[in-house]
Amino acid sequence: MRILRSEWLKTVSVPTTWLLLGAMLLIEGLAAGLLTGLSELKDLKARNPATLLIGTPLPTVLMFTLGALLATNEYRHGTANQTFVITPRRERVIGAKLAVGLVVGIAGALLYIAVNAGLGLSILSNRGVEVDGDLAVNIYSGVGVGIVLGCLFGVALGALLRNQILTIVTGLVLFLVRGVVALFIGTDVGKFFPGEALISLQGTPGADADLLSQVDAGLVLAATCAVLAIAGVVVTRYREIS
Amino acid sequence: MSEITVERLTKRYGETLAVDDLSFAVEAGRVTGFLGPNGSGKSTTMRALLGLIRPTSGRALVLGKPFHELSNPVRTVGASLDASDVHPGRTGRSHLRTLSAAAGLPNSRVDEVLDMTELTPARDRRVKGYSMGMRQRLALAAALLGDPKILMLDEPANGLDPQGMRWLRDILVALAAEGRAVLISSHVLSEVEQTVDSVVVIGAGRLVMQGTLSDLVAGDSRPALVRTPRMEELRELLEDFGASVRRDGRADTMLAHGVSLEEIGTLAAEHGIPIYELTRAVSTLEDRFLELTGESGNVR
Repeated sequence: MRILRSEWLKTVSVPTTWLLLGAMLLIEGLAAGLLTGLSELKDLKARNPATLLIGTPLPTVLMFTLGALLATNEYRHGTANQTFVITPRRERVIGAKLAVGLVVGIAGALLYIAVNAGLGLSILSNRGVEVDGDLAVNIYSGVGVGIVLGCLFGVALGALLRNQILTIVTGLVLFLVRGVVALFIGTDVGKFFPGEALISLQGTPGADADLLSQVDAGLVLAATCAVLAIAGVVVTRYREIS
Repeated sequence: MSEITVERLTKRYGETLAVDDLSFAVEAGRVTGFLGPNGSGKSTTMRALLGLIRPTSGRALVLGKPFHELSNPVRTVGASLDASDVHPGRTGRSHLRTLSAAAGLPNSRVDEVLDMTELTPARDRRVKGYSMGMRQRLALAAALLGDPKILMLDEPANGLDPQGMRWLRDILVALAAEGRAVLISSHVLSEVEQTVDSVVVIGAGRLVMQGTLSDLVAGDSRPALVRTPRMEELRELLEDFGASVRRDGRADTMLAHGVSLEEIGTLAAEHGIPIYELTRAVSTLEDRFLELTGESGNVR
């Protein structure tokens, strides 16, 4: 419990955490507001308006970055020395970081949904556009789970790679460059990669039919996080801190 | 049992031998200087003691155990490996609170160590605004959090001004007087000279010597300092005797190697040469260190 408290304090005591959360809310709030407020009414009615609310993978990417910082700040700023002297059982530290990543991810998802839905749906309602409630719930659930898994993905990948820049660049490539590895393999395994799985998870209507189902995508992302987390724990346990 | 025991410790990184068959011990109630030029293996040895790296062979023990086997590491060892090991966006106080939380210590202990290190006025400032001296104080505060029996500080005087140096010296001596074992590494020898009780000198990863400060400074290699109004005459006599002689910059003084004070005195008396001064030349820790390690690079 005390390690958990320490990791929580580490997360909330640096300005970057609040800047990233604030940036996510600002950008997504603006996106939702602008899309629903400025789009032509006939366009909004022609398309299912819930599709306008999901924006981009940006919230997930920002929360991934936050998770990556949570894990790699220790190495970037050298605090890993003190951390592992105070807690020689390093797996406990990584476990605590993952737990904090989960809490931060859930908080980020709830804040995102509150801002995005609160703003976007109220504007649509004021403009007399009916929203498919089931679809909106479906999308927000997917985006929310994606944000949580994105944050955990960042913590796990950071624990494995340690280098902050490498972790963030690797994560961005995996999330944003679609099927990057599949291009070389020449098979349909690309749908299992984080970027594809995230699109599937968000439940975007009209998305590529070859993608995974929403539930499968969530499971694939969760399994990917779990594998990375286990690898991160093992590597941290045995790797030297120098 | 010694507080710290290093037994035939060897650490190799690929082709590089960072520490080579190093053995020494550190006792309680003393400030022990861990001396060596940059890159001589001091930090690597400390990391091995703290369980951050694994020895290639040999052992690095704290209270007779590997670090990870200590039942209460925070109460046993307080360490600072680099004063820059702080997130610059945190305040001094929040940095210490993250550590005290992990150690299960109350927040009041954070305030206590801030007081001890005279950082209370700056506790709510972000660390990026701290001077190097303040960071050194913060690192010491972190090491003191658990009120540990052993303190291990890597280059704690780096960046300190003269007042800071005096403060560090006083606090380290006081901590040792309370019965703690204090191990401080340094390559800035003059700052350690007035602080340590004993020394461990390493060079190129190997033990060069271990002993008290006076052991380090003492040694037959120090030349004899001779002051006489008939210097040239005595010089010839000493050289005939087999000594090597050189001037020390003053007109009536020379330094003689390879001859004892008694032999010089007797030789001068036999020839009726007056001697105004006859003593061993003062050797500083710095001189002796350079003599022992045979290296001058990076030594200030």
